[in-house]
Amino acid sequence: MSALAQIPILPLLLATPLACTLLTLVVPERLIKPLNATLSALALGLALALALGFDATTGGYQFAFVRPWIPAFRIQLDLAADGIAVLMSLLNAVVYFTGTLTMWSLNHRTREYFAFISLLVFGVFGVFLSRDLFAFFFFYEVAVLPMYPLIAVWGSTRKAYAAMKLTLYLMAGSALLFPSLIALYVLGGGDTWSIPELARRGFDPSVQVFLYPFLYVGFGILAGMWPLHGWSPTGHVAAPTSVSMLHAGVLMKLGAFGILRVAIGILPHGAEVWAPVAASLATAGIIYGAFVAWRQTDFKYVIGFSSVSHMGIVLLGLATLSADGTRGAVFQMFAHGVMTALFFSVVGFIYDQTHDRDIDHYGGLATQVPVAGTLFILAALCGMGVPGFASFVAEFLVFVAALQAWPVLGIIAIAGLVITAAYLLRVLGKALFGPPNPERAGLLDLRPVQALPRVILAGLLLLFGFVPQLALDLISHIGAVVK
Amino acid sequence: MVLDTPTLTRLALAALAAPLCAFAIAGLALRSRPRAAAALVIASGALTALATLAILALADAPIQQVWTWLRVGDTDLGFGVLLDPRSRLMGAVVGVITLLVQIYSTGYMAHDPGRTRFFALLALFEWAMLGFAYAPDLLQAFIFWELVGLASFFLIGFWYDRPEAIAAAKKAFIMTRVGDVAMLIGLVLLFALAGTLDIRESLDRLHSLLQGHGITSLQVEVAAALLFVGVVGKSAQFPLHTWLPDAMAGPTPVSALLHSATMVAAGVFLFARFEELFLLAPLTRSAALLLTAFTALLAALLASVQVDIKRVWAWSSISQLGTMLAGLAAGGLSSGLFHLTTHAAFKALLFLSAGALIHHYGTQDLRALGRAGARRDRLTMLGLLVGAAALAGIPGFAGFASKEAVLTAVHDVPGRAAATGFALLVIGAGFTAYYVGRVAFLLLRPTAAEPHEPTPPDAHGHPPTTAMSASILTLTLITLALAFAGPLVASLLGQPLPELALAHAVPGIAAVALGLAVAVFDFGRKSSAPPLFERVPALHGLLLRGFYVDAIYQRVFVGAARLCARALHFAETRLLDPAADGLARLTLAMGEGTARGQSGQLQRYIGVAALLLACVALWLGFAE
Repeated sequence: MSALAQIPILPLLLATPLACTLLTLVVPERLIKPLNATLSALALGLALALALGFDATTGGYQFAFVRPWIPAFRIQLDLAADGIAVLMSLLNAVVYFTGTLTMWSLNHRTREYFAFISLLVFGVFGVFLSRDLFAFFFFYEVAVLPMYPLIAVWGSTRKAYAAMKLTLYLMAGSALLFPSLIALYVLGGGDTWSIPELARRGFDPSVQVFLYPFLYVGFGILAGMWPLHGWSPTGHVAAPTSVSMLHAGVLMKLGAFGILRVAIGILPHGAEVWAPVAASLATAGIIYGAFVAWRQTDFKYVIGFSSVSHMGIVLLGLATLSADGTRGAVFQMFAHGVMTALFFSVVGFIYDQTHDRDIDHYGGLATQVPVAGTLFILAALCGMGVPGFASFVAEFLVFVAALQAWPVLGIIAIAGLVITAAYLLRVLGKALFGPPNPERAGLLDLRPVQALPRVILAGLLLLFGFVPQLALDLISHIGAVVK
Repeated sequence: MVLDTPTLTRLALAALAAPLCAFAIAGLALRSRPRAAAALVIASGALTALATLAILALADAPIQQVWTWLRVGDTDLGFGVLLDPRSRLMGAVVGVITLLVQIYSTGYMAHDPGRTRFFALLALFEWAMLGFAYAPDLLQAFIFWELVGLASFFLIGFWYDRPEAIAAAKKAFIMTRVGDVAMLIGLVLLFALAGTLDIRESLDRLHSLLQGHGITSLQVEVAAALLFVGVVGKSAQFPLHTWLPDAMAGPTPVSALLHSATMVAAGVFLFARFEELFLLAPLTRSAALLLTAFTALLAALLASVQVDIKRVWAWSSISQLGTMLAGLAAGGLSSGLFHLTTHAAFKALLFLSAGALIHHYGTQDLRALGRAGARRDRLTMLGLLVGAAALAGIPGFAGFASKEAVLTAVHDVPGRAAATGFALLVIGAGFTAYYVGRVAFLLLRPTAAEPHEPTPPDAHGHPPTTAMSASILTLTLITLALAFAGPLVASLLGQPLPELALAHAVPGIAAVALGLAVAVFDFGRKSSAPPLFERVPALHGLLLRGFYVDAIYQRVFVGAARLCARALHFAETRLLDPAADGLARLTLAMGEGTARGQSGQLQRYIGVAALLLACVALWLGFAE
């Protein structure tokens, strides 16, 4: 451990995807994919080292790395990781690595694609690891903006519309965020952007109550908060495979992370006042997303609306403001990230062959492509919250906390499990099971190399399902916001 | 001989580990080697059966060993084993029946291309059920309860290219999940009331808290009622019963397992496990007794008109589960669990022998089986008749002793609810004897072929293999022996079976005799007179359609859910999305509008400037 402590692991983790972006722009064409695979593997290794090196017994921020950035405005590059950031960085690295591997067959503007992807990943790492509010927002924008070209250029299915819709929604969120963040800076004394310091200083209750909704909604849009989720299913559907994976798997988590770290972290009183509203919206999202997913005929739309529903569980957990609810929410962010990445990677694999995502045009995929089919079924089981998969414990913690905080909302949210089972079993029944569709007889199954990233994702779901302590250790220091 | 605690704990862990390992290895490594997979699973099943039997026979005081699986804040979520009389009995039932079904399956599934998956899933099923039976902890119980449901889903839908199998599997999963939601809320409430996840401790604390007025009896009633809803779902009781008859779309060995020792038995065992809670909740108990006794009668009626042999047995399971639960609700722990044990044996026997006939003659139609010569399969028919005699409750057979024990337990409870329940159960017992007699006669004394032969027998069937016959024979012997196991079960559970007074037994025995007599009258003679229910065509139609319960659910609940989904989908695509698009278009239009001002025409700029200047001048003029 001591040797590890000498390595500035956070700057390295942040620099890896940035270096990847820059190198991707200059290396010869044939080296682009190996380069990205190598550097994303390096990022994964660093994230793993971070998780292993993190001292869960003491908790708090570790591996701090502080350098002045814009001294005139007291803006710093203040990198540090607490358990939540470690878990989220691991998620980001996993999806980055596996996503890169799934794009091996890409041959259209490869250079720009991978440059944008690694830039996006760089921004995500920056958000998770920044303690400086300005840097946090800076990285947040870096993470969000590459989505536009990634969808508009490499996407499918109304890609221009989807890219614009996504960008407008997220810019609307940023428009709420940026003035609020400046207000926090000014009202916090105007001499620090440090999130922990601002949280420690505390804000006047009326300021908290006024500012909280701006921050909550601003971040909430990215988290797929009902009713401002409209960008997310459309964006999921239009994006190419690895972008969908990053988008639903990681990017939506940035919103929830922002709510937890900035909105609730700095404005706990505001969070408490607005909690009933937040919890009601979250529950509405759980039910709404599930019902709408039930009606979809496009694989990706089903997963897109399931994300709205599952992110509702995250937001419900956060809204409880309790220790268990928050832990459950953070764990669910991880579980859902891995799960949707798996979903999209498998659907993308099928789509690449057929250019068709209509559920009714498939049947018996479990027979035709047993490996891909099995992986999809595993993701669906995780989505249903079956024990043995990562999301079971996560959802369980959220539901227990929700039942204690708001029994009625908790019961409604738990009842959503029935609809979740209904819409996922519908997809399984139509496309995975049933008589094989002869028109799809030529489908190829995953080759071992192609299976690797997907198996990693499925393995993680099972690993964290059987040994959830791995994740919960990292986030055991989360305390209740409201005692 | 009594084994010491560490040995027993290790045996229990081995019993749990063996099927899980077999599942993992068979599922991952032996995909293309079905024989090896079957051998491995059977070996694990044998190990588990031996271990569970040893635990049943060679233990003394209750043992509880819990390891921390998960630590969340200050709460430890444990994984462990609780070996008390109840779980020891249930574990042994699971171990023995599963092993026999696995052995049987080597013959029944011999030609199925997916048999590796089949055996792997059987192992998963056993692991889940055993983990549930041995669970000392609320969360562990729920986890394995859910896994039992998951394994059932995959086994019911085993032939996943058949739409009806998938539909049945989906229905089973979703309907039991309705119960699971209630159960989860109930468990959380129980945890909130008692402050511990340890089942036995929480029940103890509940008792003292209730006496010390730390909690109200209403809270206990609600927790008990929520758990009972879970039982209703899992054990297919009215009104969540319609999934079980459809579940026979799975292979027959699966039905044998699902209807006897696993899945539906989990609901009954949950009730038995929380018997102390239900004793504290008299209202829930009375309601449970009435509901389950009603289910027992209803399902017996429905079984009386089925022509598909598996459907008869499926309805009969619902009816028998109702009987067990009524016994438990009446406070007869020994009676209920004794009936669970005998039923596990004879129902597995009935399904396995029915499976052997189906395997041989390629039809599930009772009349077609009889005409095809089912009576010539002597060993199979012997097993079927012994199981049938036990199910009918003919004195001297296993079902008689346990059913009478349940009836007496219910009879001994004072109050109108119990009296009504008793009456329902007795009438149900009469119809049970009737439909059992009907099945026996239809198989043994075939009627002439009808003009429209329902399903022509398949000429390519195989007679039962040795493995199948061995399983059937073993179960036959077990069923015969269990008739005398009542006192053993009672002394194991520490609650004597109720005294079998003649006055209580008379109604039950009379009902059985009457039912059999009517069956003889209807099916035992060469007569062209239609049987009992067919004389009232309206009732017969109602029964064949299960009183339209399924159709009503389809219309009301599924319909309402679909309507809701449609409404929300409409909101999404016609309201929310267009609103966002409209906002974007409005912005665009505003941009275009202002852009029009920037036309670049000098004359226009000057004109606007002059107009503005004129306005300013006018305003200044008026201001003065």
